[in-house]
Amino acid sequence: MYPIRVTINGKEFTHEVEARLLLVHYIREKARLTGTHVGCDTGNCGACTILYHGKPIKSCLMLAVQANGAALTTIEGLATKDGLHPIQESFLDKFGFQCGYCTPGMILSAKALLEKSPDPSEEEIREALEGNLCMCTGYQQIIDAIRDAAAKRQPAGAKSK
Amino acid sequence: MMKLDEIFATRNWVGNPIRRDHDIRFLKGEAEYVDDLPIECAHVAILRSIHAHARLGKVDTSKAEAMPGVLAVITGEEVARVTKPVPPRAITKPATQYVLASGKVRYVGEPVAAIVAENRYLAEDALEQIEVEYEPLPPVVEIQDALKKDSPLLFEEAGSNVLMQDTLRHGDIEKAFREADHVVRESFKMHRYSSTPLENWVIIAKYDRPSDSYTVWANDQQHGRSIVNICNMMGIPNSHFRLIVPDAGGGFGIKLALWPYIVILCLLAKKVDRPIKWVQTRREHLLAGTHAPDCEVEIEFALRKDGKILGLRFQDIDNDGSFVHTAGIYGMIKFATLVGAYAIPATEAEMLSVVTNKGPTVQNRGVGKPTMIFVLERMVDIAAKQLGIDPVEMRLRNFVQPQQMPYTTPSGEIYESGDYPECLRRALRLAGYEDFKAKQGEWRKQGRHVGIGMSASIEPGTSNLGYYYTARGTPEYTGNAEGAIVGIDYDGNPNVMIGSVDEGQGHATTIAQVVADMLAIRPDLVTVHTHLDSLVSPFLGHSGCYSNRFNDVDLGAVIMATKKIRDKMLRIAAHALQAKLGDLKLKDGTIYSAADASKAIPFKEIAALAYKRVLLLPEGEEPGLKEIAYYKSAMAKLPSKTDFNVQITHSNSVHVAAVEVDVETGLVKFLKYVIVHDCGNQLNPGIVEGMVIGSTVHGIGAVLLEEFVYNEDGQLVTTSFMDYMKPVAAGLPHFESGHMVSPCPYTLLGTKSVGEGGAIGSLAAVANAVEDALAPFGVRVKSLPITPEKVVRAIRETKVI
Repeated sequence: MYPIRVTINGKEFTHEVEARLLLVHYIREKARLTGTHVGCDTGNCGACTILYHGKPIKSCLMLAVQANGAALTTIEGLATKDGLHPIQESFLDKFGFQCGYCTPGMILSAKALLEKSPDPSEEEIREALEGNLCMCTGYQQIIDAIRDAAAKRQPAGAKSK
Repeated sequence: MMKLDEIFATRNWVGNPIRRDHDIRFLKGEAEYVDDLPIECAHVAILRSIHAHARLGKVDTSKAEAMPGVLAVITGEEVARVTKPVPPRAITKPATQYVLASGKVRYVGEPVAAIVAENRYLAEDALEQIEVEYEPLPPVVEIQDALKKDSPLLFEEAGSNVLMQDTLRHGDIEKAFREADHVVRESFKMHRYSSTPLENWVIIAKYDRPSDSYTVWANDQQHGRSIVNICNMMGIPNSHFRLIVPDAGGGFGIKLALWPYIVILCLLAKKVDRPIKWVQTRREHLLAGTHAPDCEVEIEFALRKDGKILGLRFQDIDNDGSFVHTAGIYGMIKFATLVGAYAIPATEAEMLSVVTNKGPTVQNRGVGKPTMIFVLERMVDIAAKQLGIDPVEMRLRNFVQPQQMPYTTPSGEIYESGDYPECLRRALRLAGYEDFKAKQGEWRKQGRHVGIGMSASIEPGTSNLGYYYTARGTPEYTGNAEGAIVGIDYDGNPNVMIGSVDEGQGHATTIAQVVADMLAIRPDLVTVHTHLDSLVSPFLGHSGCYSNRFNDVDLGAVIMATKKIRDKMLRIAAHALQAKLGDLKLKDGTIYSAADASKAIPFKEIAALAYKRVLLLPEGEEPGLKEIAYYKSAMAKLPSKTDFNVQITHSNSVHVAAVEVDVETGLVKFLKYVIVHDCGNQLNPGIVEGMVIGSTVHGIGAVLLEEFVYNEDGQLVTTSFMDYMKPVAAGLPHFESGHMVSPCPYTLLGTKSVGEGGAIGSLAAVANAVEDALAPFGVRVKSLPITPEKVVRAIRETKVI
């Protein structure tokens, strides 16, 4: 067993974990944050996407011990007391989810994209989502939602691509 | 049937794209999928067969049982002793199969033993310590292997690998072929694929010793049937089995077949006396979590020289793998779209269900109808070419015409409404078809391999469940129905529970829209309990989320229960207000008299009378405000071989795809994709749009990317999303859609089906476009998927994909 200390959504967690414990299982079962999902076990589907020091990673491809000392953001860290994060709001407005299983990963990938590229084209969004599978929507309404979120972040009068 | 004006008090919500605020938890990471439930569990891992076909000798679990942390083990030998075999539905030959392999293994991935341990890591470690003696048998992998006279048999007791074979003739098929000017004949092969919901199967089971009963949490998609099957197989009273279905991460039919694993979990839970959990891995899901069967089809059109299709002969051989519960269904359900959108007066269809050492099959999105429409729409293009008729004209000449509605197909399917020719014309206009065709020659001269294809399809909804027994003659289920409970809380706000489950379609929002307009309130005031609990939910044997039935029977039950509660509230209000019942209206959570506006009573006051001041209720009125109603689809016929409807509602659509093929790499790129569809009245266009596009992407995955590939030993070689390729956002077209509205006269809200249509219509549209693009090479598309490798090989060598 190895001691680890991680910060998730601003809150500090300390646990003794087995070396082989996957980070996604740590987040779900030790930190009890179940919004991060497991869909494929092989890093292909992106349901387990979290932000690791602000960058999107697949938490099924990392061991919990490797995250020792890291600052992580999961879907639970986005909404505040005042309400939904604007990207979540756009997903609601544009019907950007169906079963919701891929949604946390999609939203976190979208957040990382918009921080890097505030006004992405449809093509850029499609590329940014390449690591996130959605079996329900065919992606179009997710893309609409991300474009909507980007447009709302723009100062009034700025032209969208 | 009730008119819309009788159903609705207001028209503020139904028909509008109301946001899914009822499902806000999905956006916040607060959903409750089975694996998220805060139940401390020991974990189950399943040992699966490494052979496609083998006699099963000793399964020695002693070393595994001795490992620290291992709590219990079960093998097929015990299962065969304490449970009944899996019940078949459509097959006519005997075939005995248990939920754990007993005596034999019949596919790679078949469960052989299951272990419970303190955690999933230990459980998987322990699997490696189980020693299994296999005596390998020759595997039977492909359909033609299974049909050979000397083929090894999967089920010796059946005496054949063909477990169902039936030929149904409707109309004068001999005359059609006698009078034909031309006969066009073709054969097609359809591959295995699956819609692979992103959430795998998950089950938690808990045994309660004092009551000798089980509580199970599972993402089961058709619990009505599962509960019956599980209790029968375990020989326990229904009251000793409680099933809870919380949020589910997609279904698409694939979660109709997880119930055999519930039996395994229950048996193990009883051994360890504490809650246990099984979380299927993606590899397990792809290996053994069910597929759509591969199939071989032969089809013949009897044609008049003007292009009119006089008759259709069809032979369908489904490789149903090795799950006797569902074998045979894919053949029979094709009758729902046997003639597609066309007025073909005579049909002959032979259906064979073949078992092989491939994995289990179950009703994957569209169930056989994607194949049927693929074959029909390929054939229409092929016949048009042979007769020298334009493919658009060929379709227009054969469509069921709007004035023929309601139209009954030769086998008895009733197409209730729709304008199929106009749907095609609109789709072609939206796609710029004429313009594309005009420029195609020029593009070809520039060396661009561009093509455009279309597909006109029928999307049936609400299964008439007796259909698959047609071959057996003993329907255990008929028709389709659902139940709902609607109550008014103390505070005057409604709460709703239905007998069905939601796989992610936003049922809560749609239900809230309907109830809000029936009671003249806002939808956010309507609480909808979408989690099923068999202890309290009003389910039936039909209950579940499948065959696009929600708009029809689920909402039918909600409407009938809401009407009961509304009628009761009106009676109580009339008494309290001393007003005439006929004068009463609903507005903003209040019932008032249109004759005297001073007479008004809020729902909350009515609830107070019903729940608290019961002595003030009208004479004979029961206290309380909760009503239950069951609703059955009105149009289902009893199954008979001469006249039956497989499904009740029939949406229609036209897909037009324009593609460009890179002849060096074989990659197919979309230039345009248009869908015009008619699903009758739309209750929430935002939800409908997502279903139409999402479903179409399932079809695009099937046509271009996805395939379960088996080698000759019966080993599945595509066992992760690295080699079983799903569509990603990049590379897909931006879909353009158009809508037509032909209300269904047989559903309360005039709705038809939505959810499967895209998965049905897209295959042929893309295939026809690819064939058009490769016309200069003379390449024909006779099988799917259209992978880059097959494209390049066809161009260079075979001329056939």
